[in-house]
Amino acid sequence: MKEITVRDFFDAKKKDLALSLVTEPATLNKKITSPHVNRPGLALAGYTEVFAAERLQVFGETEVRYLQTFDEESLFPRMKEVFTNDIPCIIVAKGLTLPPIIEYLANDMNIAILSSRLSTIHVFQLLTKYLHEVFALEKTIHATLVDVFGLGVLLTGKSGIGKSECALDLIHRGHSLIGDDMINMRFINDHLLGKPGKEFGYFMEIRGVGLINVEKMFGIERVRHQKNIDMQIELMPWQENMDYERIGLSDNYVEHLGVRVPVIYLPVSPGKNVSVIVEVAAMNLILRHEGYDAAEDWNRKVHDEIKRKTKLKNIDASADEDDNKADYRRE
Amino acid sequence: MITKQITVENKLGLHARPSALLVKTATKFRSDFFIEKDGMRVNGKSIMGVMMLAAEMSSQLLLVADGVDETYLLEEISAMFKARFDED
Repeated sequence: MKEITVRDFFDAKKKDLALSLVTEPATLNKKITSPHVNRPGLALAGYTEVFAAERLQVFGETEVRYLQTFDEESLFPRMKEVFTNDIPCIIVAKGLTLPPIIEYLANDMNIAILSSRLSTIHVFQLLTKYLHEVFALEKTIHATLVDVFGLGVLLTGKSGIGKSECALDLIHRGHSLIGDDMINMRFINDHLLGKPGKEFGYFMEIRGVGLINVEKMFGIERVRHQKNIDMQIELMPWQENMDYERIGLSDNYVEHLGVRVPVIYLPVSPGKNVSVIVEVAAMNLILRHEGYDAAEDWNRKVHDEIKRKTKLKNIDASADEDDNKADYRRE
Repeated sequence: MITKQITVENKLGLHARPSALLVKTATKFRSDFFIEKDGMRVNGKSIMGVMMLAAEMSSQLLLVADGVDETYLLEEISAMFKARFDED
């Protein structure tokens, strides 16, 4: 199970969440192990049997105002009970202040209190988004990710097959690069989010030329920080007996982190303009998303034609029934 | 060059699936391969061509093969028609 420290979280989100540290810096060492956020209303009221203590605890106006109704003597055991459950940290929204006794206790038990100026709902949203990204399933693969007409197209295939060259051609044609060679994918909000494997900038290796910097060469317009992966195109050497897709009625998928991604196996041979085919494949997928499937349309037309002819024949057959009977008799 | 007259025996005719099978088999051979129906002649290794024939059940087709392995090609293809492309 992945974990980060409260300090990692604080350093990363200090600015976005308008956070300040209320307790001592030493309290930042606790670990966050859950991607979820909790509002501990019932735990504060004394019900701690079911209490998602491992989550980040967000105190909104409800919690703070409720705690303010108690005097220090009754607050102390109540909060001690909550803190004994080993919560990672407390985030107080709206810039509200907790009673001093809680701050004292938190310092004593090494639990950080962070204060955010944002509204409770806003804190909740930002926290959830951040934690889901941090705790998302992820993997890194050898591939190139390009944005083609707004679709995230993952180019895969053996080293030297021409992924980078294909991507370069696509960039040249006005599409943009997310990353070359190493792509990190994360499962976020039911999608596969692709990013460069290393945040070094938009470098590419072009055989025979060496490294190039796409951002410097083509401008900021031709690069993107991240992109959901919508389809994969596997480039492969042309093989005589390989069963390549001819009509497109059967769909192929590959699975990444449990997400099914449509895949196209694209034979590459000298003189073949792969980038145009990648563009066409992307456009074809867009059409299908919009409800038009060329393969189905074509197949329906063929079907209708076959049906029409069969019907005609049956009409003829019933008209010629007598003749047929005569034929059978002859046999 | 050799030719062979065959009849489409499967109920649905030469729709997508049988056409794909037929083309896939034909491309294994080196010989040229054509199919004729009602005066229309298509390349038997092109799936669009084959489907465009829209050959219905009990229609007559003329298979034409030309090349070193023409006999084997026609044998295998007509066997597929006979087996109704494993349909019905």
